Amino acid sequence: MVKAHFPRGLTHWIMMMIWLVLLSLFCKSTQEENSQEHGYLNCGPQNVTLLHSGQMILLWEDQPSCSAVRDVLIYELVVFRAGQQVNYDEVAVTPDQIESTHYRIWTSFLDLEGASNSVRLRSRYNNHTSPWKEQTFPGKQTLKVPEIFPKDKWFMVGSTVTFYCILPSTEAFSTMYLNTGEQPSTTKINNQTYALTVYLNRASKNTCDHVKCETKTNNNNGACVYIGYPPHYRDLQCETRDLKSVECQWTVRGDTDLPFKEPKAPQLLGSPCLMLSKGRCSQKVEKVDVGERNWTLTAQNEFGMVELSDTADLSKRVHMFAPNGVKVSTVNARSVTLQWNLAKPQYNNLNITCQVRMSFGEISIIGIGLNSTVLNDLIPNWTYNATLRCGSTQHFWKWSEWSKKVFFRTYGEVPDALDVWMHMEGNHTKIIWKMPQAKQSHGHIEHYEVTWRKTTENHNQNSTKVAFNKQSLSLSLTRTKEYIVTVTARNINGSSPPSTITIPSLNPAGHRVKTSRIIGSNGGFNFSWSASPAASCGYIVDWCPTSGNHTEDWLKLPPNETYAKVFSRNFTDGRRYSLSLYACTQGAPLLLERREGYVTEKSIKEGLFKSMKGKQQDSNFEVSWDLISLAEQTAFIQGYVLYCSDNNNSVISFSTDDPAATSLKARNLKMGFYKFTMKAQTAVGECGATFITAILNSPTDNLIGAVLIPLLTIFGLLSLTIMLCFRHWACIKQKVFPPIPKPMLTSMGEHGCHLLHVDQCHHSEVHIMDVLELQCSEETPTNGYVCKENILFVFANTPKGYYNQPQKKYPPEPLTTTTTELPSLKGLPSSPFGSVFSNPTYNLNIKPGDQLSSSFPELQERKSLQRSMDGYQPQDLTETFNINPTEEDPGKPMSCVFTYVLLPQSLSK
Amino acid sequence: MAARRTRRITGPDVSRSTVARAARIAELLQYECSILLELYREKESFTADILVDGRLVSVPPPSSQLDTRDKLWRLHSALLQCRSLLDRAIAREEEELGGGKKGDYETQRKVVKDRLSYLLISTGELLKTAGGPALLTPNLEGLEIDGPTTLFELKLWVHRIFKEVDYWTKMAITTLEALPSVIAKESMMTTRVRSTRSARR
Repeated sequence: MVKAHFPRGLTHWIMMMIWLVLLSLFCKSTQEENSQEHGYLNCGPQNVTLLHSGQMILLWEDQPSCSAVRDVLIYELVVFRAGQQVNYDEVAVTPDQIESTHYRIWTSFLDLEGASNSVRLRSRYNNHTSPWKEQTFPGKQTLKVPEIFPKDKWFMVGSTVTFYCILPSTEAFSTMYLNTGEQPSTTKINNQTYALTVYLNRASKNTCDHVKCETKTNNNNGACVYIGYPPHYRDLQCETRDLKSVECQWTVRGDTDLPFKEPKAPQLLGSPCLMLSKGRCSQKVEKVDVGERNWTLTAQNEFGMVELSDTADLSKRVHMFAPNGVKVSTVNARSVTLQWNLAKPQYNNLNITCQVRMSFGEISIIGIGLNSTVLNDLIPNWTYNATLRCGSTQHFWKWSEWSKKVFFRTYGEVPDALDVWMHMEGNHTKIIWKMPQAKQSHGHIEHYEVTWRKTTENHNQNSTKVAFNKQSLSLSLTRTKEYIVTVTARNINGSSPPSTITIPSLNPAGHRVKTSRIIGSNGGFNFSWSASPAASCGYIVDWCPTSGNHTEDWLKLPPNETYAKVFSRNFTDGRRYSLSLYACTQGAPLLLERREGYVTEKSIKEGLFKSMKGKQQDSNFEVSWDLISLAEQTAFIQGYVLYCSDNNNSVISFSTDDPAATSLKARNLKMGFYKFTMKAQTAVGECGATFITAILNSPTDNLIGAVLIPLLTIFGLLSLTIMLCFRHWACIKQKVFPPIPKPMLTSMGEHGCHLLHVDQCHHSEVHIMDVLELQCSEETPTNGYVCKENILFVFANTPKGYYNQPQKKYPPEPLTTTTTELPSLKGLPSSPFGSVFSNPTYNLNIKPGDQLSSSFPELQERKSLQRSMDGYQPQDLTETFNINPTEEDPGKPMSCVFTYVLLPQSLSK
Repeated sequence: MAARRTRRITGPDVSRSTVARAARIAELLQYECSILLELYREKESFTADILVDGRLVSVPPPSSQLDTRDKLWRLHSALLQCRSLLDRAIAREEEELGGGKKGDYETQRKVVKDRLSYLLISTGELLKTAGGPALLTPNLEGLEIDGPTTLFELKLWVHRIFKEVDYWTKMAITTLEALPSVIAKESMMTTRVRSTRSARR
């Protein structure tokens, strides 16, 4: 058996501890009892009122400490008349009735008209009684108007309150109500006393509410009651700002602490806390570093009290004040020294973290009693503002407020290297660079300097200066050579580092890249590509409108990036852009890819198809148009569609997927009227509608047309000819059927030979075969006919026909009449020409009345001819053609005078 | 060239214009006071039966025997008492019933107070013109200037004061409208007497 043995000292120590624990438990219990006792010992009546209205009414309330009572509270009431006790009463108040108004009414034993009455009352609870309170009722005082109790009191929302109305002895009760809405019925206590119990469900607005009591004689009165909330404070948080005091803040909920009275000054740990602002108060503390403890705040208004608490170790809740005296001490191009003062000397021993906020971001710095720092990586020639805030590094709680801003400007420096690119067009190479921004120029740019040389020549270098406001230079370079171009910018501090670009030589056999499409998104292009081993120093993406003015822009990317978000403020919807991807190499940039696309495709305007025309081919109809320019293509054209609608509004369509097509054929159409509408197919729908109309005819119709039109033309021409012939029949007849004079042989007179007239209108080609030589005796200009004076026309037979030749100055030769027989005219018996020449017998009798002769009025003018023809006189020698000249129509367009004389071969007298 | 004659503004002209101005202010005040009463009744949910009338201002009774100066003095004195009562009512309201949100009622209350002050300045000028005392202090004797002790009674008292201001504003309009003819008569009589005297000379 094993026994445990404890040393004697230890046993005594354990016993002592047990006793101590028991003692402390006893003390605690006693203390609690005492505190509770202390609570209700102060309990007693307050606001005691004694009224007289044909009865004696005593009203009173419980003191606030009575709320500690957990059992029935007894009030002892003693009535005295003329100094003698006449009555003793006890009123029992249950815990739920505490803090309401209590009353007692006496009616039977009082001499209200005589000596004065007084009432004493006190509370009794657990053998503890409160001091007596006495109210004396002076005699002969009666109520004139109804009295309402309680009046001018403050009640919490949600409480139930009983109001009493005590009427003058002569008045009869009418009604009693609270002006807050629904009213319960009143309770009659006796003839002069009525009670209204109301549940107060809402707060008063702006002013107190009224309880009104009205009598039947309209002798009315009222009382004010305030209904509201105790201060609604929450979220208490305590901290220290100066390491010498505690500062607590809380949130105040809305306006529920209204109406009327602001809460009284709150108390922190039972002592007044100085209000700094709404929801903030401060209290001095002896030491901050006392570890964690409870911070309890109490606040109350007329409606009640609120208690908030927060557990905090103030040394871990240091909320510093903002640093002050911030200034810049040393300024360079890219760095400055910033200095400041800490707001409290107590902060000097703290490990502090400060944060500096400048125009371009924030930086954090740490140190004990920190009061300066160097700001690096600043932009030269740049204005900054800086502000800072600090907090304790150890047990960081909150940042201080930001300090006041300090402004400073860094010194200038040479410009940053330019971003240079090139654009080749024909034989010209344009060197372009981006205008340096203010934070890149580091001062005003004076000018740019561009130098270039062939890669094969190290010394033969050209150079030129470009004005500060330009950002490009066009060079005429030999395209078969590679060039190195260098651009620098210069400001007051010097030249920027050089930016170099190699201009590739034009190699006709060089590689070409295909152009593919790219779809825009969100106002730009998301351009991605496959990595290229050639891109040793990255990629360049450049873009410009595919047609029109070239405003080139570019983007340079590192080698590891194969994606670029291309965006420009100049991008417009419905305009096609070309994007080119170059590999940045040690030499000239290498074109890798080319894309074309729209940021957003737009519907093409109507009337896209310029010069649209159609052509029928049997039952087909082909519509053709001019090639569509890029500027008009506000979207990619994927094909074309032709709609053919006839008079019955039935529509058939024909389409092509070839965007380069310039014609489209509609097949197997019926004959009739058609409206042809041509549209372009795009991603945004069919657009650019242009239409023409046409009537389609059948091939038979066309054949008829083809035959009829020439026939009609011929007919018309013939009619015209006939008409002309008819009009000029006389002339024609004269030509064709010349009047054959009677044979008259006369000898040549002394006048010599007169060559007789012949039709000299040399425009007409009359077949006059073997015509005698004629002499024009007289000519008259007539319509369309020219008769030349003294011009001898010889009608010569030419291989190709006959033509007129003017022949002058030939001496007149005797007319020789050759034979009348014309071989060529043989066999033309019916021809008028034939008849002319087949009648050489001169046996024709022409009389004056003859139509033929009448057509030649001029004949009478002719000179008499003496014909000598031996042995042959077929006609009377004296017979002449005489026509009265008065019969001549002066307006007749053509007037020819013919005198034909047949001259014999040999004349003898 | 015909020169334009300029006419100097004489004493009676000044009175007439001052009277007209005072009457105009009183009319405005009466309008503003009616709005104030309406707002107050609405705010306090007062019905007519609970409200008691009865004069708070104490001045001698009106009489046809009173001359212009006395009538003006009586009016001015009543208005002065009104302003004192109004000041007190506003102070007590703020002190015991205030603290809530400021709204139309509070704005209108200030408008009425300011307008009453303007009216007092105008009637003071008229009284001075009519030969009355240059400075008149309100007689607050017998005036319920402190008001009642309970809040409900305080509200009724405030209402009575507003009613009193309203009443005396109407009285001011009546009195001032009656004044110009009297002044004109007196002015004419004075002129006639002077012309008679100068004719005798």
